[in-house]
Amino acid sequence: MKLQIAWLGLLIAAAPLSAQAQPWKFDEPVTVTKTHNKKIFHHLESAGRHNIAVSADTIAVAWEDNRDGTPRIYLARKARSSREFSQEVKISGKGDAFEPSLIALDNHQFALAWEEDARIHARLVTPAKLGPVIILGERDAMQASLASHDQQLLLVYSRRDGRFGRIWMQAIEIDGQTLHPKHGCAVDADPAQDEQLYPAVVSLADRIIVAWEDRRPGHTIIMTAQNSDLKSCRFNSPQRISEGSSRSNPTYGKGHGVARVALAQYGTGQVLAAWADKRDFREGYDIYSANYRPGNKQLFGPNLKVQDSFGGIAQQWHTTVAGDPSGRLVVGWDDKRDGDANIMLSWREDDGWSDDVAVPGADGTGEQNHPTISLDREGNLHLAWIERTTVNGPTRLRYLFGQAIK
Amino acid sequence: MRAILLLVTSLLTLQVMAEPPHGYPFLPFDKAMQQARIENKPLFVYFGRYGCGYCEKTNKEAFSDKQVHAAYTKHYILAYVDSESGKRVRLPSGEQVTEREVGTRYNAFVTPVFTFLTADGQPLLRLVGVQRIVDLRQADSKVQQLLTKASKP
Repeated sequence: MKLQIAWLGLLIAAAPLSAQAQPWKFDEPVTVTKTHNKKIFHHLESAGRHNIAVSADTIAVAWEDNRDGTPRIYLARKARSSREFSQEVKISGKGDAFEPSLIALDNHQFALAWEEDARIHARLVTPAKLGPVIILGERDAMQASLASHDQQLLLVYSRRDGRFGRIWMQAIEIDGQTLHPKHGCAVDADPAQDEQLYPAVVSLADRIIVAWEDRRPGHTIIMTAQNSDLKSCRFNSPQRISEGSSRSNPTYGKGHGVARVALAQYGTGQVLAAWADKRDFREGYDIYSANYRPGNKQLFGPNLKVQDSFGGIAQQWHTTVAGDPSGRLVVGWDDKRDGDANIMLSWREDDGWSDDVAVPGADGTGEQNHPTISLDREGNLHLAWIERTTVNGPTRLRYLFGQAIK
Repeated sequence: MRAILLLVTSLLTLQVMAEPPHGYPFLPFDKAMQQARIENKPLFVYFGRYGCGYCEKTNKEAFSDKQVHAAYTKHYILAYVDSESGKRVRLPSGEQVTEREVGTRYNAFVTPVFTFLTADGQPLLRLVGVQRIVDLRQADSKVQQLLTKASKP
């Protein structure tokens, strides 16, 4: 016990050093939508946690809330120089809508995909108008996540195929403000052996990488597959990313849990996968990551814990990850190590992951959770999250800008 | 014939790994909340996870007890939450969230976690990790005492 206290003391003493070295200077937070009251619940959720994106100097945030009694998707935008977000626009239709995935395209344009009445919907948003909605055919489809490649959207989602959800990739051509579904395929060519859920996708110059939750071994693991022949829709045989636990119980159960993988591209052709992982089962979920290794037989490398040693005294939730072309890479999540739920960040340094830092303005009393992050081309950090003053109480949607320190 | 047997065995194995104990009328969280209010009975919420070894151990070694079964099916509305699932439930506030989010809010950071709640959702008692028969019996006694005490003027 004395040793633990001494170790904690040492960590506390070291903490200010890391805070001084953080690579962003944060503005004051702003509220994304003025529509909030005690019966409205905003949700920042999506497969891959893509709920914020930046195109040129336009920042966009997509979320779901129930302001009119039905969960619907909304989008708010602001210019970087503006202190306020514009009046939000309704993106979804008449049905119950959930989990919008948002990506930036060129020239202040964005694309969204979401689940509505158990079908996947998608549309473009330009500065002037909303493009028409496309609805992909099959029912029992959910958990959409987007990337783009040339003039195409790459949409991955889980759709019911017999007893199980199966990860599907749909290519969608962008034609002005209109979307046209093109080829699609199951990411794993073999029939699903168990549930395949919550996919994420990134597009590199010459390949597409998909990762998802997969329950085939009798517990949840993170799997990946890549397509390196973009003229076809064929992925290689899936591989496992998340490693097994050395503490697995030989008598009962099949293995530890993992949840909600997120992918980010950074540098030139580099990709990070990050997810919540319960291999150290006494501590609850921790944030783990693995790097894509192009040219290797095993697509992703060894698993590394992202959070610092303080993370062991709290549980981590809602993993989000972002990268930029210069090679910056940052992982965000929320945890309660300081008593209240706060937004935490850790970024890639030369020798691994930085100490964890609570984001100023997204910490303190009340709950700050469900972060979603993006890095723009200059490495500036854009963060949106959910704020609650009481547990299960009404929500506010918040945004914070972090100026990159050169 | 052998193939059919293998299929049946594998399906049964999957059920054991993913689900609450057999023979208990567990409901989804929102349905259980509704039922608890209708019957004015406390809730017993089982936060499990697909492939959870300690859930399976507790199912086999503690929930299999006849007295535990009798007490828990009589005294509580039973709810099961897969704390990694994306299935949606509607909370009494009208908010719709995934089962994973329910697990997050009730701090189901390990599995199993068992939470006793009043009919209006107030926490009474929480058990974390593997439970033995005696643990479940003692927890039931404690919750019943708490409820009796609370009902006295």
